[in-house]
Amino acid sequence: MRRPAGFLRLVLVLALPVVAGGCATVHPWDRDLLAEKRMSLNPSPMLHAIDEHIYFSKEASMGGQDVSGGGCGCN
Amino acid sequence: MQLDAAEPEATGPGPAQPASSPSALRERLSTAALALLLVPAAAGAETATNQIDFSTLYYGEQDRTQVFEPIVRATRLFGDGQAISAQLGLDVITGSSPSGALPSGTVQTMTTPSGRLVTVPAGQIPLTKFEDHRAGLDVDWRKPWGSLVTTTVGGHASREKDYQSLGVNAKVSADFDQHLFTVSAGGAFNDDSVFPVGGTPIGLSDGSEVTKGSNSKRVKSVLFGISHVMTRRWIVSVDGTRTYENGYLTEPYKVISVVSPFNGLPVYTLTDNRPSSRTRSSALLSSVYHLANDILCTSYRYYTDTWDVRSNTFDVKYRHDLAEGWYLEPHVRYYRQTAASFYTIGLSTILRPPEYATADYRLGRLTTLTLGANLGFRIGDRPSQWTLRAEYIRQKGDTAGGDQNGVQSHFDLTPTINTFTAVLGYSFNF
Repeated sequence: MRRPAGFLRLVLVLALPVVAGGCATVHPWDRDLLAEKRMSLNPSPMLHAIDEHIYFSKEASMGGQDVSGGGCGCN
Repeated sequence: MQLDAAEPEATGPGPAQPASSPSALRERLSTAALALLLVPAAAGAETATNQIDFSTLYYGEQDRTQVFEPIVRATRLFGDGQAISAQLGLDVITGSSPSGALPSGTVQTMTTPSGRLVTVPAGQIPLTKFEDHRAGLDVDWRKPWGSLVTTTVGGHASREKDYQSLGVNAKVSADFDQHLFTVSAGGAFNDDSVFPVGGTPIGLSDGSEVTKGSNSKRVKSVLFGISHVMTRRWIVSVDGTRTYENGYLTEPYKVISVVSPFNGLPVYTLTDNRPSSRTRSSALLSSVYHLANDILCTSYRYYTDTWDVRSNTFDVKYRHDLAEGWYLEPHVRYYRQTAASFYTIGLSTILRPPEYATADYRLGRLTTLTLGANLGFRIGDRPSQWTLRAEYIRQKGDTAGGDQNGVQSHFDLTPTINTFTAVLGYSFNF
């Protein structure tokens, strides 16, 4: 069986534009749009948890934004 | 990152409606200025509110598994930014799922895990009927430490007929560079137990010999994430997770057919057997973009594990607000995975069984497509939020054609699984 070789490198490559991007400074008084709840990366945690459970039971993958939650006998 | 309107650093109250005209813009700026003046007083008031969220999930696979799951979550929000939540969920699961055995040109007689004899019509994929209930409790406590650091600790307990999960988790998030960057790190530990109905069969055996008692499964996860405010309208984040699983990872009710290499007819079955460790890794890239009026959420996840499963997931949501409290959010998700190294559709009578083998289609090569929409709406004047989400999930396995010989070449061993899900949600504060 294969180790997840180069995986850390992939995360770093993905993180690079996130860290380096966005040259323009967004001042605190310019964050009215960002403050909207619908701009959250996870605006509905309950719906997100339901989806995680559904796909965990149907597919072989898991992981994403969170590590909370528990196991299940469904897969 | 979440710049919630309730947090002191959120300089705008963030109403959902866009400022499409100069007068609307002036009104919003005035509101934002007023909010800035009021924030220190509100923060010192230490007033607490409560939020209740209900949701009910219906999950129905065509001719297979049905799940009904009501969930209730209660949250106490304190004036200093702390929040304590408790969530209770109950799953009622009925139906059937593929046993892993192959169809035959004739009627097959099989023994269920509980010792019952069932007959499978000629040409049909053998299914195992089941019925279960699962109750789960999750609690978490979020606490800000000053204006830059937030911690969250939580616990989980769930129980079903043959599975128990107990877990703890913790996460810390810190803001940098005037809240433009948020760095998060977290971890979780789950101590699970598997106690199959009828005992635990020996792996790759005929299933007649079982061991009693429960089997341990321990899961450790770590997470590291960075989110960044790219522009006034755009937030991007990247999250990496790694999960270490050790213990009993086999599916005790699944079997593998052993077939004749000459005509493809199943001769007997062996029980499933998987390695006792698995390391999973995922990298998730997410973006939330505020268009003129609407919100576009996109994400891509790459996943790999030591069982040789690799997958790519693309997810797009587009939220269009219709009126105060009313919105429509179409959703598309595409998922594709490779097969685990020990996945097989069947074994051969003339070859020695491998060390590990499974015929569980969920570890085979497959594709999942999800299409759906979420409707947010309000009823009456009460400041509450209803949501109704309906989705169609189409899943198709992809067995390598060369693996099927004899009679098996006449069957579709991985038929399309059509699933319909509906979630009705209701939230209110008091």
